[in-house]
Amino acid sequence: MTTTAPPGADAVTAPAGDRPGRPRGIGRGRTGKGPGLVFVLPFLLVFALFLVWPVVHGLWLSLTDSSLALRDTTFVGFDNYAEAFGDPDVWSSLGNTVVFTAASSVPLVLIALGMALLVHSGLAGQWVWRLAFFAPYLLPVTVVTLIWTWLYQPEVGLANQFLDALGLGPVGWLSDEAVAMWAIAALTVWWTVGFNFLLYLAALQSLPASSYEAAALDGAGAWRRLWSVTLPQLRRTTVLVAMLQILASLKVFDQIYILTKGGPNGSTRPVLEYVYDVGFTGYRLGYASAVSYLFFALVIVVSLVQLRLFRQED
Amino acid sequence: MITRFPAPPPEAAPGAAPGLTRRRLLRNGTAAAGALLAAAPLSGCASSAAADNSALSVWDLFQGGDGMLMDDMIKAVSRGPRGFDVERTILDWGPSYYTKLAMSAAGGRASDVAIMHLSRLAGYAPGGLLDPFDLDLLAEFGVTRRDFLPGVWARTQHAGTVYAVPLDVHPFIVFYDEDIADKAGLLDSEGELAEMGSPEALLDAGRKLAEATGQKGILFGHVTDTAQNWRQFAALYAQTGASFTLPDGGPPQIDVDAAIRVVTFMQRLFDGRTNPNNLDYYGSIAGFTGGRGGMAMLGGWELRTLKQSKIRLGAARFPQVFEKPAVYADSHSFVLPHQKNPDPARRREAHRYIAAIVKQSLTWAAAGHIPAYQPVIAERRYAALDPQSSYADAAEVAVLDPPNWFAGAGSNFQNRMCQPLQSALLGNTSAEKAVRQMVREADTLLRQPNPVA
Repeated sequence: MTTTAPPGADAVTAPAGDRPGRPRGIGRGRTGKGPGLVFVLPFLLVFALFLVWPVVHGLWLSLTDSSLALRDTTFVGFDNYAEAFGDPDVWSSLGNTVVFTAASSVPLVLIALGMALLVHSGLAGQWVWRLAFFAPYLLPVTVVTLIWTWLYQPEVGLANQFLDALGLGPVGWLSDEAVAMWAIAALTVWWTVGFNFLLYLAALQSLPASSYEAAALDGAGAWRRLWSVTLPQLRRTTVLVAMLQILASLKVFDQIYILTKGGPNGSTRPVLEYVYDVGFTGYRLGYASAVSYLFFALVIVVSLVQLRLFRQED
Repeated sequence: MITRFPAPPPEAAPGAAPGLTRRRLLRNGTAAAGALLAAAPLSGCASSAAADNSALSVWDLFQGGDGMLMDDMIKAVSRGPRGFDVERTILDWGPSYYTKLAMSAAGGRASDVAIMHLSRLAGYAPGGLLDPFDLDLLAEFGVTRRDFLPGVWARTQHAGTVYAVPLDVHPFIVFYDEDIADKAGLLDSEGELAEMGSPEALLDAGRKLAEATGQKGILFGHVTDTAQNWRQFAALYAQTGASFTLPDGGPPQIDVDAAIRVVTFMQRLFDGRTNPNNLDYYGSIAGFTGGRGGMAMLGGWELRTLKQSKIRLGAARFPQVFEKPAVYADSHSFVLPHQKNPDPARRREAHRYIAAIVKQSLTWAAAGHIPAYQPVIAERRYAALDPQSSYADAAEVAVLDPPNWFAGAGSNFQNRMCQPLQSALLGNTSAEKAVRQMVREADTLLRQPNPVA
């Protein structure tokens, strides 16, 4: 795992990649490209077949009126993109995806960190906590949504029973347009926080004890050690966790599709569901491809911004 | 899931069973090997690539209780010397079923026979995804248009050609607890649910049922459901006599005043006090079987589920409250998905199979569906089915989705219509705004280029 590599590991390996003045021994091994290519070929084949080709083919589809149900396809230029830019459903579903990403990523990073710090602080029964925090992550999405459908059930669900016991009125968890997306974000946090928790815990366990000893000798209390020793050393893990999380949240589809099908009133429909609706139940593969490429552009922008921010920090 | 009828013999010693030819053995063996090799996602393709004199491949979407009944029916026609050799593929019901069916037909290598909701025909027949039926051939096997209700038969056609043979009509109806309805004074002299006749009568019935249960009156699950609200709305809207048509290119022909009248009534009916307005589908079933309401508005296909409860179950066709009798329904129908080079002998076998299964539909009625084949309805054994026979007349006033490529069972159209209706029932929007949104949504769908024509 990259996060557990000691700081400076990159610096050690970097000079080996020096281009012009390469030591002869290494250079000679690399001039014979034949055997190397053979080893890489299986991967390249799979890569080309399942990644490069779909990307290229999808781009082509987005420029046609391709239909799932007909074989005749005509080139329509940028018509699909023009339609997508003027389609309010594209923008509202893109907005929903962004809202979900923000609403789920922040707690998924912060809560995972909090849980890892708690467990690492030396609570009794370590394995119980680790198991309890990680277990939901092992559930398939269908099971998770089944459980939460009943928790969120308006009449007999646990969530509303709980509110009732507190003397509060019932909430339409999945039926209220203002609440549904947050309810789904909460479910997602419960379901997937375990993975981030594990990454943080592994990082915490690999922090050198010597820095804590030094800090303690200097008279730093627990809070000071947390702020000045632990958190700064976790920065690389946080970058990794945040990046993985944002990308994972952007591609939200399954739990929403099963729970609300994008309802109520389109308020939880992520852009990927819109692509699915248009392409697979509406048969308009060309238009669906165009919308998915717009989404792809958004993902690239987000990735570039992330890269920029983290580069600056480093 | 793929099932073979008749089931392949257990032991495969060559020449062991007298009826076991080498070809048959090879075929069964290959099928078994294929089933082992093909992972679940591939199995759909495996069946469609069947060789010419192999089993008749049939696709359907019947799971659970329906699936077992279909098994029984296929078993019944697989017996005897002229029994069918059938390979049945059960696919998951939902929008994805229609995606798979369209794709297989577009590729020209579809199954020999498939089940389709009649409401989806408009998305398939015009684009050449279905092959027409040979009515003479059907007549040879004893099935003609006179065996079906005219209203249902009319929907089997596109441009005057018949593309579907209905197996059933499955209406959206009301189930009720006979004891509670009796206590509430809603039964007629024959012990059946009395006619309503006006919006006020149904509202009043809800109040009386709520009194009788001490809890709620009429249960209706619609929250997060992508069809229920549309079923309810479409039934009531058709009762006003107004028409709802979706001409290609738009705008939709919808009587806004009638629609607002219907949605306003739905809001009054499900006021959240007498009749809850915030139930989801399974919540309404659980509530009804648990005695928390005296009546439930559901599809007839829930009959088997509801029968497992302890309540004395009654059923009636969806109550008429406006000017015209009308019930929202759909129909599971047999179609011949498009094949590039259909083998005439196989086509003939497909016609014979469909005719034979349709005649078995008394078995099918156990699931709560109304057999479309009228000679079965006329049988005394059907009249004896309780409570199915109580709502058999629903088929006569059945109203299906307006025909258009994007409408029908499991479609995005139904989902989109349900969204504003759900908001209206939950009190988040007014009836008028909900109707305006429905018109807008329909218009948006109509403005899309038609991908199947």
